[in-house]
Amino acid sequence: MTNKSDLDFLRVTHLRGPNIWTYRPVIEVVIDLGSLEEQPSNKIPGLYERLLEWLPGLVVHRCGVGEHGGFLERLRDGTWAGHILEHVVLELQNLAGMKTGFGKTRSTGEHGVYKMAFRTRDEHVGRAALEAGRELLRAAIADQPFDLASTVAQLRELVDEHCLGPSTAHIVEAATERRIPFIRLTDGNLVQLGHGAAQRRIWTAETEHTSAIGESIASDKDLTKTMLASCGVPVPEGALVRSADEAWEEAQDIGLPVVVKPYDGNHGRGVSLNLATEADVRAAYELASRKGDSKSVIVERFIAGDEHRILIVGKQVVAVARGQALWVTGDGVSNIIALVDSQINTDPRRGSGEDAPLNALAPEKGAEIILELQRQGMTAYSVPQAGQKVLIQPNGNVAEDVTELIHPSIAHAAALAARVVGLDIAGVDLVCEDIGRPLDEQRGAVIEVNASPGLLAHLKPAEGAARPVGKAIVEHLFGTSDSGRIPVVGVTGTLGTSLIARLVGCLVNLTGVQVGVVSGQGLYLGHRQVAAGDCTGFDAGQRLLINRTLKTAVFESNARRILSEGLAYDKCQVGIVTDLEGAADLAEFYIRDADDVANVVRTQVDVILPHGVAVLNAEIEAVAEMAELCDGETIYYGADPAGTRIAAHIAAGGRSVYLRDGVIVLATGSEEQRLLAVASLKTATAKHPTSVLAAVAAAWALDVSPTVLAAGLRTFDAAAKTVPH
Amino acid sequence: MQVTRVRALRGPNLWSHHTSVEAVILCTPDEECIDKLAGFEARLRARFPALSPLQPTGHDDRIPMAHVFELATLDLQAQAGCPVTFSRTSATNETGVFQVVVEYSEEVVGRLALELAEALVKAAMDDTPFDLDGALTQLRDLDEDVRLGPSTGSIVSAAVARNIPFRRLTEGSLVAFGWGSKQRKIQAAEIDRTGAISESIAQDKELTKKLLDAAGVPVPHGRVALDADDAWAAALEIGLPVVIKPKDGNQGKGVTVNITTKEQMTAGFVAASEFRDDIMVERYLPGNDFRLLVVGDKLVAAARRDPPQVIGDGASTVRQLVDRVNLDPRRGNGHSTSLTKIRFDDIALASLAAQGYEADSIPPRGKRVILRNNANLSTGGAATDVTDDVHPDVAARAVAAAHMVGLDICGVDLVCDSVLKPIEEQGGGVVEVNAAPGLRMHLSPSFGKGRAVGEAIIGTMFADGDDGRIPVVAVTGVNGKTTTVRLIAHLLTTSGLRTGMTNTDGVYVEGRAIDRGDCSGPRSARNVLMHPDVDAAVFETARGGMLREGLAFDRCQVAVVTNIGSGDHLGMNYIDTLEGLAEVKRIIVNNVALGGIAVLNAADPLVADMADHCRGDVTFFTADGQHPVMSMHRAKGRRVVYVDNGQLVAEQGKTIHRLPLAGVPITRAGAIGFQVENVMAAVAAAWAVGLAWDTIVAGLATFAGETDNAPGRFNVFNFRGATVIADYGHNADAITALVGAVDAMPAKRRSVVISGAGDRRDDDIRQQTAILGAAFDDVVLYEDQCQRGREDGEVLALLREGLKDAVRTQHVDEIMGEFLAIDTALDRLQQGDLCLVLIDQVDEALAHIAARVAAA
Repeated sequence: MTNKSDLDFLRVTHLRGPNIWTYRPVIEVVIDLGSLEEQPSNKIPGLYERLLEWLPGLVVHRCGVGEHGGFLERLRDGTWAGHILEHVVLELQNLAGMKTGFGKTRSTGEHGVYKMAFRTRDEHVGRAALEAGRELLRAAIADQPFDLASTVAQLRELVDEHCLGPSTAHIVEAATERRIPFIRLTDGNLVQLGHGAAQRRIWTAETEHTSAIGESIASDKDLTKTMLASCGVPVPEGALVRSADEAWEEAQDIGLPVVVKPYDGNHGRGVSLNLATEADVRAAYELASRKGDSKSVIVERFIAGDEHRILIVGKQVVAVARGQALWVTGDGVSNIIALVDSQINTDPRRGSGEDAPLNALAPEKGAEIILELQRQGMTAYSVPQAGQKVLIQPNGNVAEDVTELIHPSIAHAAALAARVVGLDIAGVDLVCEDIGRPLDEQRGAVIEVNASPGLLAHLKPAEGAARPVGKAIVEHLFGTSDSGRIPVVGVTGTLGTSLIARLVGCLVNLTGVQVGVVSGQGLYLGHRQVAAGDCTGFDAGQRLLINRTLKTAVFESNARRILSEGLAYDKCQVGIVTDLEGAADLAEFYIRDADDVANVVRTQVDVILPHGVAVLNAEIEAVAEMAELCDGETIYYGADPAGTRIAAHIAAGGRSVYLRDGVIVLATGSEEQRLLAVASLKTATAKHPTSVLAAVAAAWALDVSPTVLAAGLRTFDAAAKTVPH
Repeated sequence: MQVTRVRALRGPNLWSHHTSVEAVILCTPDEECIDKLAGFEARLRARFPALSPLQPTGHDDRIPMAHVFELATLDLQAQAGCPVTFSRTSATNETGVFQVVVEYSEEVVGRLALELAEALVKAAMDDTPFDLDGALTQLRDLDEDVRLGPSTGSIVSAAVARNIPFRRLTEGSLVAFGWGSKQRKIQAAEIDRTGAISESIAQDKELTKKLLDAAGVPVPHGRVALDADDAWAAALEIGLPVVIKPKDGNQGKGVTVNITTKEQMTAGFVAASEFRDDIMVERYLPGNDFRLLVVGDKLVAAARRDPPQVIGDGASTVRQLVDRVNLDPRRGNGHSTSLTKIRFDDIALASLAAQGYEADSIPPRGKRVILRNNANLSTGGAATDVTDDVHPDVAARAVAAAHMVGLDICGVDLVCDSVLKPIEEQGGGVVEVNAAPGLRMHLSPSFGKGRAVGEAIIGTMFADGDDGRIPVVAVTGVNGKTTTVRLIAHLLTTSGLRTGMTNTDGVYVEGRAIDRGDCSGPRSARNVLMHPDVDAAVFETARGGMLREGLAFDRCQVAVVTNIGSGDHLGMNYIDTLEGLAEVKRIIVNNVALGGIAVLNAADPLVADMADHCRGDVTFFTADGQHPVMSMHRAKGRRVVYVDNGQLVAEQGKTIHRLPLAGVPITRAGAIGFQVENVMAAVAAAWAVGLAWDTIVAGLATFAGETDNAPGRFNVFNFRGATVIADYGHNADAITALVGAVDAMPAKRRSVVISGAGDRRDDDIRQQTAILGAAFDDVVLYEDQCQRGREDGEVLALLREGLKDAVRTQHVDEIMGEFLAIDTALDRLQQGDLCLVLIDQVDEALAHIAARVAAA
């Protein structure tokens, strides 16, 4: 029913920055529907039912109708394949675990050719979902089978491979919540939050403040223990012994029960826990010395209780999760099977049915329990002494959030432990019976300090509330008000934009601020031209944003860049629009006239921050009109103060930059400040007075003082060519 | 000769400022004078010719064996290359018993030297052989094994030169500088602030290149190539010549350099594919390898690195040429020399093969033959210092590279012809940045000047003038130490400093007990100095710890000696005179920092005399402002603290501060004399630290002597209308002071509860009750389980003897058990009576009394 050439992708583009569709990265597809142009969905029998059966999640797609079921309504009433594909692709991304919502499909004006765009968090996944979506849609149209499960599985693999891991993604989300921008520096989890000199780097739950030495100390358990003990953080007391006699002597000194383990052991081999009698300690010594291939054996206090993971960020405890260990207490009569039945399996959540959230435990059958008992020198049929605690499962897979319960003395000890080791973010593992009671009352102890702790236990605890750990980490890095942004200036248009970008850079640089500029003529860091040629692309722009020394960045852009890549920055402080020329060169993007160009170039004004400034050419009405799209202030520039736009702006008390009697003037309402005569500019610069006005307006918007502006203008030479290096 | 006890004195000690081993040596009468041992010295010198001349140690000409042992221990270390110079032998009050002290630079080496010296002496005695070379090798190897490596060592030396204290945290290269909250750490050439992320970035060459490129640092551009054709396409994009190599490869395996033709590229792709699937094509950078060292925001050193090479003479084989180069005396085998011998191994042969040579080929005259594609010093490469040649632009790029990656100490690998010109002008580039770079090539390059790299690293961690120290106040004396320590800590805390404190009750940081029990030794003090939350520290410094291990710190800002009086603990550790005791207590005064202050009791002659041993200034205190020592000191315009007309006065020249004692609760408006002494000492110490007077006044007003503040120090209770005072006083001076204090308090009938500590001398125990007998009507003597080595009933008998001539005491009880004794006294109290309880088990006894008071 469909032709091979139906649903032909004429062009697939990943728009990495703000674009004509949205502020965020999308994949844009130009689709030729082919014969499907004649077949809206209502004309294809069974399509609605098949799609709904395969992708029941489509019901929540609101689409243009704006409500639950909105898309399905359109699908039933009749919509075209490009639009259907958009929703199929979004739903496939959702099923693969990459939640997104945005999509749009528009006609290009050519018969059967549509532009479709959909939001994606990763280009690889997005492109694969697009291909898979087309296969699915073709199968649905042709009433052929489609293996959805394996498609989704493949997409999931791609998500795992390419998307941020859950901990990193959570931190990035928290940053995004605060409108702090981010840039992935690698295919892995190394992410830059913020821009230029205001940036901070994270790598999963490590920050740029996480000390390499701190990590190396944390990975040395003995050293960590020594350092913690010397600062008064309780750790399991222990001693190195070289004979069974010594082992028993130390065990009595330390206090029973004890743990006995090989000095150089690994993977828990030869470790015996919870030893309470002389015979057990002696036997454990023999075992440990045999498994560890050395007479040296460690005797350590056995800490009874649950293992807790305490997450420290900065100097604060931000989350506490309890890994519930399962214990029974002996009565001197019952064996372990009986004790488990009476003390653990009585939990109403435990049962053998499928509905029971937790399984009933069978100590004589479960391999892990058998091993655990063996390490304590017991079997399921052993009869523990009255009062003896026996560990059944060390850290049951259940993590419970107990952040609210932590006793201040435990919080202090955990935060101190992180500080002693020298970690800004740490997962402190602490064993105690009751996290809500003072530590010294219960002989609890810190058993490990972990760098780069996983956050999942706190984000998705089995019981209790999720903790906003990402928010805490972002606050740790940025305080409560820092946006992570440096002032960004964007210049869009075709006339004099390179000159404007360079001049803005020079003027700001004069204030002592390190400025980076990318333009059609090259890349500049301060006064130095680092690269020559066209640097208006996305990649060159990223070079500025990842540069840790830059405190201001200036970007030249144009309609072609916006259409083919998107802007290189997500938001800007100052956005300049000079003109709407160049439609003729953009036919491949279905741009036909200045109106179409305006629709593209407005992106530059759309991304201006609320406290930012639009610098608009007052002499081109379609540009001047964009003031309405701007979230911030507008400064108009133009040669003539009597022009209608500027005159009205003056009347309204707004800021303008214009020429009066050949002198550049900064005006706030009708209050004028004369800067300098155009005649005082270098010859090459004086040839482009309008561009100079635009640059002056932008620099003024960045609070460069009139004195500096005048000095900068006097010395700037538009003709000067610096050798790139 | 017998070595009976060996101790390591890890800080300043009774003998010197040096870390030392101390051994107690028993000599037989013959051994007390080695001249009596025929031929001994000759046999000794035959075995160890480098032994120093033997000098008599005492008033006569006798040379004891202990002295021989001392010198042997020192000289063995010195011959093995350890920087040690100090040693001493001292006779004790027991015949034939000597104390020998020998400096060490590494504790284990010092201990080994003791053992070897003992073996040497024994061999000389018995005329058996001694393997001197073996012994020295053993010492040298151990020393090389445990001492800091050259990179870390250079940083530590720079810290020491700036008077910054340091402590090794492991046997490896992890070192802490400074104390408490001012601590910083290094691990080899890596500082604590350096981020783990930055290190990971430095290990990712592609990411590093991307970041450096963004920072405007020239890098060899390149990309991954899929096949040979794609590689050639990449080469044309990048610009010829290029390098082809396996991505993330190492040791130069599968690398082809300087490719200019498609044929070379095809061959190079095949070669690279043998090692990895991912193949990189990169711009070829011709020129030399340079290592630029960036520390903080400065380039501090640069070296050109040349791989091991020989130059043909047209006659010799490669092997002969290498042998000749290795004859250079600067080429050693380990890490200690500025060059290392060139190895002639498989890697060298492979490298030769690549150049068309074999081991026995004869290269033409003037031909440069490379023996390894690696310029590391440890494999025979050479480093030439070029620091002074570096063009400012080159330095700026190196700093930008380090900053972009985020490394505080960064080795930047640059390939270009010369560092005299900007990198861009010569088409060079940065190929790698390294975290924790080796410093040896800059400290002792093969050619050219060594650079002060350690100084630069310390300079990034500690600002000029910052020595990483926090105020440290050490307090010693016979009585009043604990209260003085608590009071000083309280004053420091009042001023906003997070204070760490050690005393006989425990270790406290910001008021939290982090350890309990007698913590007046160096281990507890060290723990406080390592605690990250401590801005100032006050240490009760007991004699035991000083004798056992030395001090926990090299210098203190303030040393307080409260008193020596008639002493305590005499007869232990070969110290049986008050002068000997004073010498021990003086250790903290000996080690006051330049610019620091010793706070000394002017009325105690042995304490006042310590002033001559202080390199800092001295503040004298005593209640009598007209005491001659005080008058002299005041006349010189130096600091004195005394009491005048109910006011504590702190005076220096024209500066006079007055603090009414009425505002100091623990003195009971000045009535309790010994507390006034403690307050004077504490005020002088707080003044020495530079606390504001308002703060001192506020602190004194809020310090109460109740149990919470100072358990066992004059804790006053009201029990059914009677006054009960509990105190831990346990020597004659303390008891005299207590009697003085309670005499000032009105009472109908006076009783006292006392036991004696068994480790005191008989006379000292008797004297305690002799003092009490004059001041109390009833005396309850008790004895507890803990007799410290005495027979049951022995202490009670001594206490009773002390009461033999008592003028006031009418009634004496003898009780077994402290609580029972307390109960006996309490049960007898009437309204208006006074009872002094000299407690022994402080916490338990106080709890017991408090419980009785609460129940009454």
